[in-house]
Amino acid sequence: MAYDDLRSYLEELGEQQQLLHVDEQVDPEPDLAAAANAAARLGENAPALYFDNVTGFTNARIALNAHGSWANHAVAMGLPTATSTKEQVEEFIRRWENFPVTPERRQDPPWSENVLEGEDVNLFDVLPLFRLNDGDGGFYLDKAAVVSRDPDEPDNFDKQNVGTYRLEVKGTDKLGMQPVPMHDIALHLGKAEQSDEDLPVAIALGNDPMISIVAGTPLGYDQSEYEMAGALRGTPAPIATAPLTGFDVPWGSEVVLEGVIEGRKREIEGPFGEFTGHYSGGRNMTVVRIDRISHRTDPIFESLYLGMPWTEIDYLIGPATCVPLHQQLRAEFPEVQAVNAMYTHGLLAIVSTKKRYGGFARAVGLRTMTTPHGLGYCKMVIVVDEDVDPFNLPQVMWALSSKVNAANDLVNLPNMSVLELDPGSQPPGISNKLVIDATTPVSPDNRGHYSQPVTDLPETGAWVEKLQNLMHGRS
Amino acid sequence: MGKEGFTPMCPRCAHESISKLAGSPVAGAWEVLQCQRCLYTWRTTEPDRRTKRDSYPEAFKMTQADIDNAPEVPAIPALRGRG
Repeated sequence: MAYDDLRSYLEELGEQQQLLHVDEQVDPEPDLAAAANAAARLGENAPALYFDNVTGFTNARIALNAHGSWANHAVAMGLPTATSTKEQVEEFIRRWENFPVTPERRQDPPWSENVLEGEDVNLFDVLPLFRLNDGDGGFYLDKAAVVSRDPDEPDNFDKQNVGTYRLEVKGTDKLGMQPVPMHDIALHLGKAEQSDEDLPVAIALGNDPMISIVAGTPLGYDQSEYEMAGALRGTPAPIATAPLTGFDVPWGSEVVLEGVIEGRKREIEGPFGEFTGHYSGGRNMTVVRIDRISHRTDPIFESLYLGMPWTEIDYLIGPATCVPLHQQLRAEFPEVQAVNAMYTHGLLAIVSTKKRYGGFARAVGLRTMTTPHGLGYCKMVIVVDEDVDPFNLPQVMWALSSKVNAANDLVNLPNMSVLELDPGSQPPGISNKLVIDATTPVSPDNRGHYSQPVTDLPETGAWVEKLQNLMHGRS
Repeated sequence: MGKEGFTPMCPRCAHESISKLAGSPVAGAWEVLQCQRCLYTWRTTEPDRRTKRDSYPEAFKMTQADIDNAPEVPAIPALRGRG
């Protein structure tokens, strides 16, 4: 099932008992963030939250935790809520193979109902903004899809980027934006600033669930997020033309902001409690001027709580991080079986692979670090045998405990690139990286005593089925 | 302790130039204020640990030197040469 907007997704979450409508009056702080923080502590089937009675607001509608559990992620994918994590990732991979799917351009987007321009632009008039964590420097937009184009090729659809970057509300028409250097928008901004120009942007808020997923997926520079959304939805993604910038934005958004990143300008921003489970610190970051706001009547404001993992962001970008790494590794190394890069946006990844010869597994680990995403993340890569499931952490622990000899199985690489938000990097943006080869050595790497593994008995499979039947019959 | 509502000092950097960014749609419920030096933004109804200088956590306090020395992200590139 494909959703064309946030509203239809929330309706389906409600149908599946995955949406909790809190109708009692709550305060904007600390209640909204604390409730979303609490939802993340409810476990793998936590519901989305919907608030419409917030102190001081007259018509605030706020959705939180929309992707914040495996059950919700399954609904976003159109799968049964009980679908396992591994099965969701496998289905993601299957749909990825259908890329690209040309989007469907539609007219009369619902967000064109209301327009604010010039002196009338005021973010506080449209959005019920609120703080997430105590040390945050202000109120943030942290689940928006930011659209920008390559200034050297403004008509190149494939190089148009759709990404999620944190945005601090710093004025009625001003945002601070964090373009991480490894992300595509930083390339667009760099080109604009080299030419002493502003970079136009369109910022879509409150989107269908697949737009939020692809906006957090590390695609190649010339791969279109809309064409990927179509592949993952199973039907073309509906888009519309933003009136001021002419950029392509989701047809179903709640709110569309348009303006520019002001060229060669930086201003104090943050701190912000980040996906690393640590605050970013205050930095001088880019400034966005909003020139036009288009919005639905009574828009729903969607936000995301993030803090000490796991929170909604880990579910949102977990599979979306695993799959591109899997596809990029398989393109050169078909021996790769599975990739679990769900830990802190892939700062740690686990890869299972067959081995061609001794030393092959650690080469797969090194390649993981040189994928586009790996350059800024993948600080640690654990490589395991093909019979170890990277999504089964007890199995991974078994591999680490029994297959690793620290004398030869650690590859420690000095002064590698990582995103500056990594709190362990020193200086920020630079870190050693580590491959842990937890595979069984193969010839000519004849180390250890691995010739007599204990495997499940040949009859075990039949007995699993027999026992399950007996247990079922007993109940 | 500070009086209800308007706090004439930034909880984070102690600057005294504070602007009102927004007022509540329901009149009188709260205001959103902003420090004109460090740009810290808060709602007047937030807990003291976010709105009162005396209660603001030491770890998050900011000075003019912190602002001046904050890293530039991303770094501003050199202008393209004319050739």
